[in-house]
Amino acid sequence: MNTARLITHTPSPGAWNMAVDEALLQSAAVTGTITLRVYGWSEPTLSLGYFQPYRDREYHAPSRPCVVVRRATGGGAIVHDHEVTYSLTAPTDGRLKRRLDDWYRLVHETWIRTLAELGIAAHRCLQTDPQKEQQFLCFHRRSAGDLLLGSAKIGGSAQRRHAQAVLQHGSLILKRSVAAPELAGIAELSGRDLSDRAWLDGWVSSLGQALNVCWQSGELTDEETRRAEELERTKFGHLRWTQRR
Amino acid sequence: MKPENLLFAETHEWAHIAHEAGGQVATVGISAFAVEQLTDLVYMELPEVGATVAAGEEFGEVESVKAVSPLFSPVAGEVLAVNTELPDHLETLHASPYDKGWIARIRITDESCLTKLLDYAAYQKQCAAAGDDPA
Repeated sequence: MNTARLITHTPSPGAWNMAVDEALLQSAAVTGTITLRVYGWSEPTLSLGYFQPYRDREYHAPSRPCVVVRRATGGGAIVHDHEVTYSLTAPTDGRLKRRLDDWYRLVHETWIRTLAELGIAAHRCLQTDPQKEQQFLCFHRRSAGDLLLGSAKIGGSAQRRHAQAVLQHGSLILKRSVAAPELAGIAELSGRDLSDRAWLDGWVSSLGQALNVCWQSGELTDEETRRAEELERTKFGHLRWTQRR
Repeated sequence: MKPENLLFAETHEWAHIAHEAGGQVATVGISAFAVEQLTDLVYMELPEVGATVAAGEEFGEVESVKAVSPLFSPVAGEVLAVNTELPDHLETLHASPYDKGWIARIRITDESCLTKLLDYAAYQKQCAAAGDDPA
């Protein structure tokens, strides 16, 4: 069983969150470290998918007051507010002994198991709906493997693949946000308020078993922090990146 | 083009080498195996005409429903042309990965990069080792 690092971060600004995830991706390529990072957002933040045009955010009125960042991963826009966000970074040298496509399934299945223990019956979307793939919001799209509660999407993930490493990050909606009032969360759909996050330990443990890794709590290295600060300044916090399309 | 007549990078790009005007020009694309692995492609960003690329350098990107992946240049040189119709017709990559699905034509400036490319048999072996049969 491999040892992997678990980082839990307090809510932070969007550009910093994206910069840390990319710094971890670069670190995984160089050091081979597997890292699960669980984090949050210091204010409601709209993240655009890598290929989405910046101007499209104007069509979504409720999120116009939100800070906006552009992700390095694809897919639709996400309003990050009352949610659990994670990133998983690892080298692609087979250390996890999993195909990259399996990462979605593993993460989402462990969400399903953890939620089931809480009496919440989530399930995976069985088929991609091509007609919904152009929706602005990620949670209006339907891709095979997405996490659904009834017919509502409550969880999704996306990857950024590099030659030597991969980043997968994703979100699980706990509660409806005023910046995306059309999207219900687990609280509205099930009547269960999971915002105390006590259940997260169970999910982390379940994911460790699924990946066959043993988590060890850790923090960013000095080099990762330096790299994240640079990426926040020059990329994710910069209009040249956010408005690049 | 038949895949048997192409060279392949370990990162799944192919190159067809032709002699033109005293030099070598590579037509490059991504393998049928890679297209199959990526599944449900939705966006592609092409390299810029006139750009200089190194072998193994990222020169484009492709997004599938769930992942953004880099495209790596299999050769070193100058980008002469790109398949501008491809991003609007990504289904071509599935239907014709080795012909109509070409991505760029690159004038090779350093022929030594070709020695690092695999022939089709070696590439098939690599794909099989990854746990799947190459298409």
